[in-house]
Amino acid sequence: MWRKMLLMLGACAVLTSCQGSQKEEQKTSIRIGISLYRSDDTFINNIRSQLEEKAKEYERRRGIKVILDIQDAKGSQNTQNNQAERFISLGCDVLCINPVDRMDATLIIDKAMTAQVPVVFFNRQPVEEDMDRWDQLYYVGVDAKETAVLQGRIVAELYGRQPEAVDLNGDGVVSYVLLEGESSHQDSLIRTEWSIQTLKDGKVPIEKIAGGIANWERSQASALMEQWLLAYPDTIELVVSNNDDMALGAIDALNRAGIEGMNVVGIDGTTPGLEALKNGKLLGTVCADKEIYAGAILELAASCALGEEPPEEYPLTDGTYYWAPQEIIVSEEGFLKEN
Amino acid sequence: MIGRRGKWMIILYMAFLTVLFLMCSTDLIIREPEKEVYQIAVIIEDARDDNYGSFRKGMDQAAMELNADVHFITLYEKMDADQQMDLISREQQDGADALIIVPADADKVAGALTDGRVTVPAVIIGSEITGEKAAGTIGADYKNMGRQLAEAVMRDADETCQVLILEEPQKRSIMSRLFLEGIKEEFEECGRGWKSAAGQETSQGFWNLAKSLDSGGGQRLVILAETPELLTEAAGFLAENPEVLAAAEEKKPGEPQPEALPEEKESRMRDGIGEGVFESRGAVLGLYGRGSTLPALNYLDRGMIQGICVTDEYSIGYLSVDMAVRALEGDSSRNRLQTDSYYIEKEDLRKPEYEKLLFPVE
Repeated sequence: MWRKMLLMLGACAVLTSCQGSQKEEQKTSIRIGISLYRSDDTFINNIRSQLEEKAKEYERRRGIKVILDIQDAKGSQNTQNNQAERFISLGCDVLCINPVDRMDATLIIDKAMTAQVPVVFFNRQPVEEDMDRWDQLYYVGVDAKETAVLQGRIVAELYGRQPEAVDLNGDGVVSYVLLEGESSHQDSLIRTEWSIQTLKDGKVPIEKIAGGIANWERSQASALMEQWLLAYPDTIELVVSNNDDMALGAIDALNRAGIEGMNVVGIDGTTPGLEALKNGKLLGTVCADKEIYAGAILELAASCALGEEPPEEYPLTDGTYYWAPQEIIVSEEGFLKEN
Repeated sequence: MIGRRGKWMIILYMAFLTVLFLMCSTDLIIREPEKEVYQIAVIIEDARDDNYGSFRKGMDQAAMELNADVHFITLYEKMDADQQMDLISREQQDGADALIIVPADADKVAGALTDGRVTVPAVIIGSEITGEKAAGTIGADYKNMGRQLAEAVMRDADETCQVLILEEPQKRSIMSRLFLEGIKEEFEECGRGWKSAAGQETSQGFWNLAKSLDSGGGQRLVILAETPELLTEAAGFLAENPEVLAAAEEKKPGEPQPEALPEEKESRMRDGIGEGVFESRGAVLGLYGRGSTLPALNYLDRGMIQGICVTDEYSIGYLSVDMAVRALEGDSSRNRLQTDSYYIEKEDLRKPEYEKLLFPVE
């Protein structure tokens, strides 16, 4: 008698669990909470637009409704923490976080782990200790060293082919200024180091005139460049910038000063950056394929939300990191048409 | 050894702790009022949210303050009325308590509001639609906005100046239709002529448009754009080709001259692509339109756009959520709201009263 009852209870348990998994399979909508460190960052804004497009594509392809809750943290980690909390309380299936402070992702990870909500970080890589805390944490970004090497190659290859196009005053030395992103961002440190190293490896005789942190911002870069143009008149031949927005800031200062022909290189391939490239104001930029970048974020997030395996078309390194491919884009004057 | 009195003290103390625990951690003793989170779906008529920046800020602010969970939904294709109707059904099925709709087709939405397909309160943006479930309407007086813009154009450009209206007849929203009606009515009443042209989305398109017009060389032209997208596109074209702006010709001595025509443009001119209104330098006296997207405001600041009509989109976003929540709570006292519209030029951008309107901070 007892055995029969136990068997029946077991069968009920199996049936209940099957029903549960069936419910999981039948999930017809997913909700993704996205927090951007700053929505006025041109690159991030481009990624945001691509994310919205990719969500629609996914909806059409899979027949699963995708709700994107996109919030701007406006450069405040505290705001972003609150946004993550709100996303969780509103029942988001997964979070996509572009951290304000990559060193301070702990609180978001704590909340996500408690609520069992996976997190896909992007663009600003949290520290390894944080990423190793849970197997439901992912990162989508670009390999900063590769970016920097590609940026250095733009100038090095032009110098190799046509030295006078880079060494504008023909004194055998290329005098450059450097515009750096936030000091706390891992990419700005790596970009700076490897971009300059690639120029040296490419036998470009460089000399640093000045450098400064412009926090990825066009206006700050413009102000810095204006100062340098006054402090070092007729000296600067090359502007190496950690991103396109700051490169455009330098170009703004050059335009105001009526200076033409100076080489400026950026990174990101933002829409205004590509526009400047088309107009011959920017020598070149390194561009992550934003469609693939955003596609990786969305597909990874969706697979987490549905409890599926990570998508095969976006292979993960160490089961956690996806590195988006990058390419060089240069103006007519540049050496490489496209990498 | 604990005495009887001591034992009772411990029991009372434990009981006190238990009551405290129940009071603090559960709602068994003090029942907190349950805050209902309203699910509100916002379905716009566009495939992108570029024109809804300030609207979304207002909407998000209201969602935070009024405890609403707001989903912002764009269409796969701009002005796809059928998809909008599908989305209206889908969102209701998925549990939306209220809808905020910018109609792609006002008639279809009005039909759904009256024939029972919309079963939850719906706030309509930019269109005067009534129906059993219509909780209210919010928007600017777009016809008056069009009139304001036409008045400004007539102030700036005399009779000798040709007026060209860039239109988007295929995917026209109700707001655009009213805006265009206002412009044309004002011109008609003042006896001013104009030419209409289908909007062009590429530089090549603008050159082709120029070719299609036979205004002859030397005549000045003002351009009015029906939609914010066309306004930005046209401004982008002028930014790339500053030589066609009349302002470029009238630069003061000492100011940097417009850049020389790149080879590509010169060859286009040689091939005759740029013949017509743009064939002479400085043909375009001004570009006008509506909307307060950041690119448009940047172009206004840079002088590519002479004037735009704007409204308080932040308030529209905020009030639409507020109206939906009020309707859900049974308050229908505010069911028709109209925001003011303003005509602004470059020098107005930094005036405090417009700064708040154009660059709202949450």
